[in-house]
Amino acid sequence: MTATHLISEDAFASLLDRLIQDMPVMGPVERRDQPGFYRFDRLEKTADLQVAYTTTTIPPKKFFFPPVDEMFTFDQSGPLHIEEQAEGSPFVLVGVHPCDLAAIEALDAAYAFPPADMRWIRRRKQAVIIGMECRPDDYCFCTSLGTADARAPADLFLTPLDEGYLAEVHSPMGSVLLSDTAARQATKNDRKAAEQVLQRKIEAVTARLTTSVSQLADILEYGGLTAVWRETAERCYSCGSCNITCPTCFCFSIEDTLDADLSGGQRQRSWDACQLLDFARVAGGHNFRGDRWQRVRHRWHRKFLYLYRRFGRPYCTGCGRCSRACTADINIVDITNRLVAHFQQEHKP
Amino acid sequence: MRRSEKKRIAFFDFACCEGCQLAVLELEETLLDLLSHTDIAAWREVMTGDEPPYDVAFCEGSICTRADEERLLRVRRDAKILVALGTCAAIGCHNNLRNRIDTREALEKVYGKAARGMDVTEARPVSAVVDTDYRILGCPVSLPEFIAVFKAILTDQPYRLPNEPVCVECKLTDTLCVYEKGRVCLGPLTRCGCGAICTRFGDVCHGCRGLVDEANLAAMPRVFSREHLHAIMGAVASGQPLDEERIRQMIALYNNYPELKIEDRGDA
Amino acid sequence: MKEPTGYEKLGYVPEIAHVLKAVPMTEQEIFLDLRLPGKTELGHAPGQFVQVSLMGIGEVPISICSSPTRGDTFQLCIREAGTVTHGLHRIARYAQLGIRGPFGKGFPLAELFGRDLVLVAGGLGIAPLRSLITYILDRREDFGRLIVIYGGKNPRTLLFKEDLADWDKRSDVELIVTVDRGDETWQGRTGVATEPLAELDLQAVNTRAVVIGPPVLYRFAAMALFEHGLTPETIFFSLERNFHCGIGKCGHCQLNDLYVCQDGPVFRLARLLDRIEAVEAWAPEEDQDR
Repeated sequence: MTATHLISEDAFASLLDRLIQDMPVMGPVERRDQPGFYRFDRLEKTADLQVAYTTTTIPPKKFFFPPVDEMFTFDQSGPLHIEEQAEGSPFVLVGVHPCDLAAIEALDAAYAFPPADMRWIRRRKQAVIIGMECRPDDYCFCTSLGTADARAPADLFLTPLDEGYLAEVHSPMGSVLLSDTAARQATKNDRKAAEQVLQRKIEAVTARLTTSVSQLADILEYGGLTAVWRETAERCYSCGSCNITCPTCFCFSIEDTLDADLSGGQRQRSWDACQLLDFARVAGGHNFRGDRWQRVRHRWHRKFLYLYRRFGRPYCTGCGRCSRACTADINIVDITNRLVAHFQQEHKP
Repeated sequence: MRRSEKKRIAFFDFACCEGCQLAVLELEETLLDLLSHTDIAAWREVMTGDEPPYDVAFCEGSICTRADEERLLRVRRDAKILVALGTCAAIGCHNNLRNRIDTREALEKVYGKAARGMDVTEARPVSAVVDTDYRILGCPVSLPEFIAVFKAILTDQPYRLPNEPVCVECKLTDTLCVYEKGRVCLGPLTRCGCGAICTRFGDVCHGCRGLVDEANLAAMPRVFSREHLHAIMGAVASGQPLDEERIRQMIALYNNYPELKIEDRGDA
Repeated sequence: MKEPTGYEKLGYVPEIAHVLKAVPMTEQEIFLDLRLPGKTELGHAPGQFVQVSLMGIGEVPISICSSPTRGDTFQLCIREAGTVTHGLHRIARYAQLGIRGPFGKGFPLAELFGRDLVLVAGGLGIAPLRSLITYILDRREDFGRLIVIYGGKNPRTLLFKEDLADWDKRSDVELIVTVDRGDETWQGRTGVATEPLAELDLQAVNTRAVVIGPPVLYRFAAMALFEHGLTPETIFFSLERNFHCGIGKCGHCQLNDLYVCQDGPVFRLARLLDRIEAVEAWAPEEDQDR
């Protein structure tokens, strides 16, 4: 059984104070220009942490895989010289919701799949992760994907209770974090209270898939869904926002920039999106996913079929960011349920 | 990388606000670094004199008179490389709005009798009058793109306009979506390359860089005519009338000359 | 998380190679002969590709057109199609460029041993095929008949003309070159590559076929090979996709569940036939209801 402690808000605040002095601490903060909206950023002080944040536009994966990741610099003023860029230094990531924890675990699997992506792995090993129980919004559907109570890869997971936080220890690092604090052993009642918080959350998630993830994979594999893909594509802008805000999307492109002296520069990789028109275009001009509906289909296939079969989990955690970000009103739950309904309609007994 | 000899560059302005040149001057240190690889042959905003021929001529603005046209043809003859600088020159901008009404009628309304001697023609972007070797978009010109094109020219490389909507740059910079604030934005239809400068500083995207390839123009009216929009989109729709006509007007602010197509697209 | 081992070498930092030769081949293609520092061999197999970079411009995937049996240099045939290849076409002898790789799975050599081989290339497809042909010629006794069919647009676009002349002279290579449109100097065949393919006399049981070309070639080549009694199990295709990382991460080359950079680029046709995105690329006019 996981060790559990109860830590008061003050004790947690002083733990964070100490951590902030030692190393960068990243967490959800309120957007300065837009109160009520949040983003993951470096905490300057403990009070910056917004424990009760709803969601963020960009998931915390950006700390392990920055949107623009400088991989090496080069200098060709003399013989070509290349210098690999280090992946940064140890840091703490606090306030990660269960869906985003599940997403980090999913990306661990994808990036460690041989040949491993060492840039992701080295950054991941530098991070201490403190998870946090959440409050769902209209777009959440984690209960359909089994991620409502995800914990890995958190070192510590906190559930806000009346007298502080129930802190679950999920790694040796988790207990190191608590060792110097005024946390006490959690009682049966504390654990029960935390379970009730989880239960209330699960009940508050109203958006639901009408099928299981394994059946969904089978339905997508069976096919015959072109009508739904085309109908969805009629509205889709191919703007890539669903991909870029997704905590489990991990595609990127590699490009160079040249310094103004024209001899130095850098190579970087930046987040890319399979919904963009040119994603599968080759140099000769042929576009292997030139039709918008093919790209829409690819997104569902990749999330719920290909990666599901390869890694044994859907590459969707039900965080709802894609639906929220879609200015074409394409909701991942609605469309998935449309696919299921279409399939059932076609295969009536 | 092989570097060419110092290139002789020149800047010319046609019908426009000259905001693109001003924006370029705001690059300050970066501009000086770039200019260190060049000699300036003509640049009315910063010096007197004009000494053709040029290796590179940056042309800003629209071509609205016969005199403009002749001057542009002269510059084209004298320049190895001609760059359309900014939306007016590259794809047509506000200047082109006047093409929708009769030119003579408009002239007389504005200038009265003085209009009689004016040699005004249809307003056209530079790229519609002469062949351009590079096009830089934006109103005013997008500085990241200006720098990229300048470097491409100095290193004898082609430049490929980005072919993604502004949404990409908004998201990469972790900018809150304008729609979340209840406002309509042309980002999903507009070619990026500006670094999402308007949305990052609290405005919406007005589409000044023109449409991205295969922009789904039909989608926007289709979305706003849906019955049950999700919460954020519903708030946007209830704030303002977004029928087809209104959306068409928004898009037409900058996209009123035949659409720019990126014909010559290559690998990375 | 578990620490993976043994893959550190496959990162994103290229090795620096020197250009020994840079020779224009046609209006569109340039031929490069390259060497890694310390005369290290690239260690590739025929059919693999490398990522070639020009610092400050970018990186592009290029298939290797030389055989690993030919010493410590390796060769590339590069068509000008974008900014990086534009730069590569202007590269000088002794220049330096970045190399990552080799990547992907090449031709199934073990399965080709001892068999009769039909190798079909359209256009630039002859580049990776040249790697295999050279390999076979260097171990000629290990293979059966060697039939090479190469189709080009017109005589001016034909690549590796010296190699073609050598192969044509040999009695142990059956070479057929055809162009869509001849000119006044052209004395060879005209017409598409699949026509001579249909005319061949093959012992299907002991034959393996390899096809590399533009998307349109695959479908008609497969139909012609089926006529000869070859099956999806005995036909191999090498596919072109947009590659950025080369290690199955960046997602650009995905073909349904396959990563072409890692699982391919050479595939047994049987493995592709139930992949809808492969079939759509060959027969886009047919609306596949998937």
